[in-house]
Amino acid sequence: MAAVVSVDRLRKRYRRRDPWAVDGVSFELEPGQAFGLLGPNGAGKSTVVKMIAGLLRPDEGRVQLFGSDPGNPSSRKDLGFAPEDPDFPKFLRAGEVLDYFASLLGLDEVERKRRIPETLEFAGLDQERRQVRQFSKGMKQRLGIAQAILGRPKLLILDEPTADLDPLGRRDVRALIDRLKDSGVAVLLNSHLLSEVELVCDTVAIMAKGRVLKEGTMAEVVPEGRNLEDVFVELVQANAPPRDQLPSFITEKDKP
Amino acid sequence: MNGTLAVARYSLIELSRRRILLVFFIIGAIGIVGLGVGLKILYTIASSSGSIAPNNVDPAVFNRFLELSFVNYVFSALATFALLIAYAIGMTAIYHDLDSGAAVGIFSKPVSRFAFATGKVAAAVAALVVIVGVLALEARFVMFLFGGGLENALTGEAFAVVGNSVVVMLIVLSLSTWMNNIVAAVVAFVYYNVITGVIAFVHNLADNGVITNNVVKTIFDIGYWLVPHELVSSAVGDVVRAQVQISGGQTSSQTLAAIPPASGLGDVVWWAVVVLVFAGLVYYSVRRRQV
Repeated sequence: MAAVVSVDRLRKRYRRRDPWAVDGVSFELEPGQAFGLLGPNGAGKSTVVKMIAGLLRPDEGRVQLFGSDPGNPSSRKDLGFAPEDPDFPKFLRAGEVLDYFASLLGLDEVERKRRIPETLEFAGLDQERRQVRQFSKGMKQRLGIAQAILGRPKLLILDEPTADLDPLGRRDVRALIDRLKDSGVAVLLNSHLLSEVELVCDTVAIMAKGRVLKEGTMAEVVPEGRNLEDVFVELVQANAPPRDQLPSFITEKDKP
Repeated sequence: MNGTLAVARYSLIELSRRRILLVFFIIGAIGIVGLGVGLKILYTIASSSGSIAPNNVDPAVFNRFLELSFVNYVFSALATFALLIAYAIGMTAIYHDLDSGAAVGIFSKPVSRFAFATGKVAAAVAALVVIVGVLALEARFVMFLFGGGLENALTGEAFAVVGNSVVVMLIVLSLSTWMNNIVAAVVAFVYYNVITGVIAFVHNLADNGVITNNVVKTIFDIGYWLVPHELVSSAVGDVVRAQVQISGGQTSSQTLAAIPPASGLGDVVWWAVVVLVFAGLVYYSVRRRQV
């Protein structure tokens, strides 16, 4: 089966004197697979997904999206990308944002009229008349997911999709991922919520400081009797200086 | 093509909802009406109280003088507001998408950076043309208060103003893709209004024989063809000459030298080259930009 995404020894740094944000990352993602990319803040997860979405250029290595360079617009036709902390043209309304993005996806008017109301309803934004600049973070996150699924993607990248969602919204996203997986859509999930990743992903890669520390199926990464959080903490701590010290002004006893 | 149209359409919707543009437009519109009506009231009061008669000024001549003054002020007002609107559009049209993160969603769709840049430039130019066009149309109506007759001069000047503002807007658009939009506006102002303005002014003085030093003349001749040329309609000179004539003054060579000459074919071609260069720069900046 042809890989949806193929990432090969990818390296990226933002400035010449900076350390590598992504350093030699390789993995493949196949149709119907849900892949979890895990790591602490600054691990390089978002940089990896932005390179897959053609938003950043790798310094070294190669990314293939549906067999071609993600910098080529036609390779992004079947990509749905919900970025971390999403934002939109702020003077537009939710329906207008979706119509804008549907036009960029090349959907005709009939299809736009069919999909947009349903997508807005799914996102819980069908009654919303305000412009995006007046939206809360949670509403923007829901609109971010809505625009990502609008084109019926074959690859859905979700970068911290539930960070600003309430428990009901999180449940909806989990149900969406399950449904998409069943219909053969590949899902790449970036998340700090390990319990969530454990529930929906078949394969995971744990990253720190731009490198993949461990990768495999859930059963390979998480031995029986342990959970993903234990494995994650153990791996990440082994690759980072201890950080459990509280500031001295917190720990010091009250002075007379 | 679809991508370009979608970007242009929604960028125009966004621009139409920006309060800063609305504020500039309202101030410009009120200013033009206020100026015309104010000068007309001045004429009415002056002629009814007979304050024109003691100086033996023909009321028709006085009316003509007021009309010329109005047209002169309108030229300045149009140029100023068109420039303000060009800065406002240039500072926001692309920068806000990049700064807010909206570009992440847009660029992950199957749209090329060329389509995005073309759509943005098309929307920005359309918005500028519509706003300045409506102000010019309004000025044209106000001119009928004075009997009319200078409408063509206004049309020519409006075209020149739009042409100049497009250049400024493209400079700000391309710079704001690389840097903070306020810094971009300052850099564009220094480049276009200060450096280019000084070069064109000194070149004009040298052309009219006010500056005779050959070295200076050569330097500014070369410099002139390295910077954008401000388009000038023949109307500016015509109005100034008519004003001087009505007031009974003599047009000295120095007075004429201070009036910028009307742009020739070479200037118009150079303007088109400059527009293409800066539009290309907008595309290059958008293409290189990582979000």
